[in-house]
Amino acid sequence: MKLVAEELAQLEERAYQIRRLSLEMITNAKWGHVGGSLSMAEILAVLYWKAMNVDPEHPMWEGRDRLFLSKAHGSPALYATLALRGFYPIERIYTYCELGGFEGHTDMHRTPGLESSGGPLGMGLSVAVGAALAFHLKGNPRSRVFCILGDGELNEGNVWEAAMSSAHYHLDNLIAIIDYNKVMAKGFVWELMSIEPLAEKWQAFGWDVIQVDGHDVGELTAAFHRAKWVNPRGKPIVIIAHTVKGRGVERAEFSHEWHTHAPSAAIADQMLRELALNFGRPEIGYSRLDREEEKETFYGGE
Amino acid sequence: MAASSSSGESADMREAFGDTLVELGHAYPTMIVLDADLHTSSKATRFRDAFPHRFIQVGIAEQNMFGIAAGLALSGFIPFPSTFAAFATRRALDQIAISICYPRLNVKIPGSYVGLPTSRAGASHNCIEDVAVMRAMPNLRVADPGDDADLRAIMHAAIEVDGPVYFRIARYAAPALFGPGHKFEWGKGVVLRDGDDVTLFGTGIMTGHCLLAAELLADSGIKAQVVHMASVKPIDRDLIATCVARTRCAVTAENATISGGFGSAVAETLALTLPVPLRFIGVPDRWADSGGIDELFAYHRMRPADIAEAARQVIALKSGLLTR
Repeated sequence: MKLVAEELAQLEERAYQIRRLSLEMITNAKWGHVGGSLSMAEILAVLYWKAMNVDPEHPMWEGRDRLFLSKAHGSPALYATLALRGFYPIERIYTYCELGGFEGHTDMHRTPGLESSGGPLGMGLSVAVGAALAFHLKGNPRSRVFCILGDGELNEGNVWEAAMSSAHYHLDNLIAIIDYNKVMAKGFVWELMSIEPLAEKWQAFGWDVIQVDGHDVGELTAAFHRAKWVNPRGKPIVIIAHTVKGRGVERAEFSHEWHTHAPSAAIADQMLRELALNFGRPEIGYSRLDREEEKETFYGGE
Repeated sequence: MAASSSSGESADMREAFGDTLVELGHAYPTMIVLDADLHTSSKATRFRDAFPHRFIQVGIAEQNMFGIAAGLALSGFIPFPSTFAAFATRRALDQIAISICYPRLNVKIPGSYVGLPTSRAGASHNCIEDVAVMRAMPNLRVADPGDDADLRAIMHAAIEVDGPVYFRIARYAAPALFGPGHKFEWGKGVVLRDGDDVTLFGTGIMTGHCLLAAELLADSGIKAQVVHMASVKPIDRDLIATCVARTRCAVTAENATISGGFGSAVAETLALTLPVPLRFIGVPDRWADSGGIDELFAYHRMRPADIAEAARQVIALKSGLLTR
């Protein structure tokens, strides 16, 4: 499935906006996960504007596709996506990490469009398996369940319990996406606990494997099309999306330093200008730069 | 009242569990039972045989089972992920906490093989800390039934409320406390026997021991009030305060560790309302061990005689005959 240049450009623009808003909300909150939010911007853009069947006017519409964010620390990117897709006004992203606002990880009761609550790694795929089984029980052959996992969380045993059961139940309505950004909280995946050979692991667990460049919206679109309409034949499908942690801002790329780390307003201003240059957009800095004087100062932390 | 030595292979609370699952399955078409390779032990087999298409076998993978239950609940089903209490509340605690309790999902969690009676399986399977652990989960209701009728009523009450519930099933033939028309209400205790001298607060199968203890105390002229509190969370604070306002001393009894469980819940209430002499009966701060059930009740000082002795102590404290 090929896209015309205009569609590709639109998806790239969505990914750019997801990155901008992620940095905006993390900076405003003085807490959050930069690297893991920036790495999955294209994945979310293609899911919410191409692959998934959702209706922002009716977020709980029964026939919708479901997305479970297992790597729930990437919530800024998902909150940005849902805002841009029209689930709520963009201003609400600035409640991120505020008392009573959007949660630091995910609380489904706080944010319209969220399908579940999460935070501890390794748990989301099981919830997705339950939702995929539910579609079978309800005799719904059309809707799909998507689940985004981080690479580091593949260290968790729960993921492989879920992987084993997905194949056992023949859940070909389940599409897992690995945001394979190569870096976890304290270093490289291969340094802390290697997950390779990754494609072979999923194949051995009975999954259909598709590998893509996770920053190429054309490749992602084609992969989701195959996963939804070509490949399903009794096996769950995993898209291993090779990505760059912190993609778009040089100091954050492949850096575990920016796993859980909020930029100061001044640094965020630089980062957003750099992001604009890297993606060929008009140079715009941090929109809340003038408000910073009023706020307590604490940067970083976990 | 039957003696406390009535465990074994004869009808125990698991039978009522299996039968009530089927009963609820007929009434609630969206009910699903999940199992992690223990259905003949838990008696969930009966649901599998009655509703094979609403029974999901997950293999020996409890973390996955509770995650799947969350996904089913999010899709409008009412899942009962069924396993031994030890494997639910230890192995899958994170999944229960964050995937289920945090978003208040409509999942009903049966914990079987609780406390001392687990047929000699030993400390790994005698789950004693589940009440303390589950009581600490916001949004979760916790109940420990006193007999078969109570278990059945709790299962009905569990499915009638929207939200997560944890309830216990002992592998134990508990003497009957209630008749077949028994109703259970969340946050309500029941006075089973009245008396002015001391209140014995029991939960789960230990309420039966409290009634036997009250008989022993009556022999020496002590009038003990016995209150059954299957609803550990929410707990009946009003009833606790009302009872103790009269008796001015109390003993709690539970088939679980005394650290943080039912006795602690009673103590928390009394600390806020009316601090009085109090003693706790349950497994002290140690692992449960293998052994015959009567042997274990004796080893952990959880026999009716131990409850009666604790009652005499709190009465003496109240009367100023003993100092703390």
